[in-house]
Amino acid sequence: MSGALNLVVCLRAPPPDPEGDALGRADALALAHALGLAGAAHKVTALLGGTSTEAGPLRLALGAGVDRAVRVAADELGAADFHTIGQVLAIAIRRIGADLILTGVRSDDEGLGAAPAAIARHLGVAYLPCVEEIAFVDGPAVEVVTRGGGRLRRLRVKLPAVLTIAAGPGPVTARAPRTGDAPPIEVIPLSDPESTVVRRRTELLGRPEPASRGVETVTSAAALVDALARR
Amino acid sequence: MNDRELGGPVVARLGCAGADKVLLCEGAGLAAPPLEATHGAALLAAVERVSPLLVLFPAGGGGLALGPSLAARIGAAFAGAADLEVTDAGPLAEGVGRVFLRRWRGGRAAYRRLDPVEIERPVVAILAAGAVEREAGTAEIDVEVVTCAVPQQTGVVEISSEADGDALVALSRVVVAVDPALGPDAVARIAAGAPSGVTVVDRDRAAAAIAASAPEILIAIGDVELPVMGTPRGRVGAIVVGDGDTAPRARAVDVLWRVPAGSTGEKLWGEIAKALSAFGTSAPARARTKTRAKAHE
Repeated sequence: MSGALNLVVCLRAPPPDPEGDALGRADALALAHALGLAGAAHKVTALLGGTSTEAGPLRLALGAGVDRAVRVAADELGAADFHTIGQVLAIAIRRIGADLILTGVRSDDEGLGAAPAAIARHLGVAYLPCVEEIAFVDGPAVEVVTRGGGRLRRLRVKLPAVLTIAAGPGPVTARAPRTGDAPPIEVIPLSDPESTVVRRRTELLGRPEPASRGVETVTSAAALVDALARR
Repeated sequence: MNDRELGGPVVARLGCAGADKVLLCEGAGLAAPPLEATHGAALLAAVERVSPLLVLFPAGGGGLALGPSLAARIGAAFAGAADLEVTDAGPLAEGVGRVFLRRWRGGRAAYRRLDPVEIERPVVAILAAGAVEREAGTAEIDVEVVTCAVPQQTGVVEISSEADGDALVALSRVVVAVDPALGPDAVARIAAGAPSGVTVVDRDRAAAAIAASAPEILIAIGDVELPVMGTPRGRVGAIVVGDGDTAPRARAVDVLWRVPAGSTGEKLWGEIAKALSAFGTSAPARARTKTRAKAHE
């Protein structure tokens, strides 16, 4: 492998958490893969689209040892569809520069996992979902393990590429302690006409409907199965 | 998508299931498990032929690999796990369709109703496992072949391939995910009572397979944070050990059984295994699961 590669981990803005910063399990897996892959040889950038109050995952990523943390300042991403989120993140990734983009399997706030495909489309790079193992090989390329159609496959994927991570190497392991302070979170503002994209594309989410479902508490395994089977 | 002509029984089965026509994307390499790099262009060619309002993938099919990219390419809405709803409730408001999809919003806080007529865009969606197969058409249907060229320089090369030991997870009507912290015997003991159509797995070892699934019923034993939400019609159960910090997040589950700390072990696994046997699937569902598993071999 010649030269340092740039890895970008896309994190999603968490729902408001009164107990502090939060990193979703899917995002944590992506971050763990990135830090493990990068070691000391490559650079890792954590990227998030959202407001300053949603930057908690970036602080956690800095604590875990990423080299850069970048927030795309976009107030309206919470109400945007995956096309918009993908387009906005792709704009930021172009500015940052990336060889490998990793995201959690549920990458956007609606739990769709479709934003990575939109990122790949806007960047014009390969897209592979639900990856379980990754290793760098010469090329530059990665060898990944993924499953589908009843097969567990090892694939060689030429970089650049967007991968979503479905399983991981375990909990996030921080890199070696920094010698200095963590770098500040960088902010990429969206300038017109880019920002108009966010306002334009918010209709594909569909119509929200209330979900009136409570939790039924039971006291035996048989009652649990009975309650679940009831329609 | 296939690399050769479809067999008569396959076409007849699709016709009996309700298809009016089969669009067959035929090309070298298309019989392999789908990837966006190798199959995306072929699927897009087929979709552009018919300009559909809905593109539906079955659970355990190529939806995760192909659906998001297809939606990105055609400007569609996407639902990673959705219920297909058909309404026959009288005259509808102008611009509202009779067939629509419903999926969870993030965190199971509410639903999203995706009506392709209302949003004036197609919808690409993956359906839940466990739908009932029934005769809805005739075996005699047309097959239109879309000849697809082999994509050049896809950037993806297969190094090796083996049977996926967790392939049934995505096809199962009921998935039981067991926290590995409960010990190595828990999965085996609970699985011993599981009827066909019910798959019991170690939550961490099978994390990727669980993430790719949309079962009708999902049961988490132990830690209840799972990387899958299912569909609105689906149900989530949790068996939580102890109390206090192990409480599931609001709206994360529909049915909760809290067992005392220290009660885990052979007796509890036996009780759960016995209860799961009540899920004894209906004959058609059982047959379907076996058929799909065989098709994957």
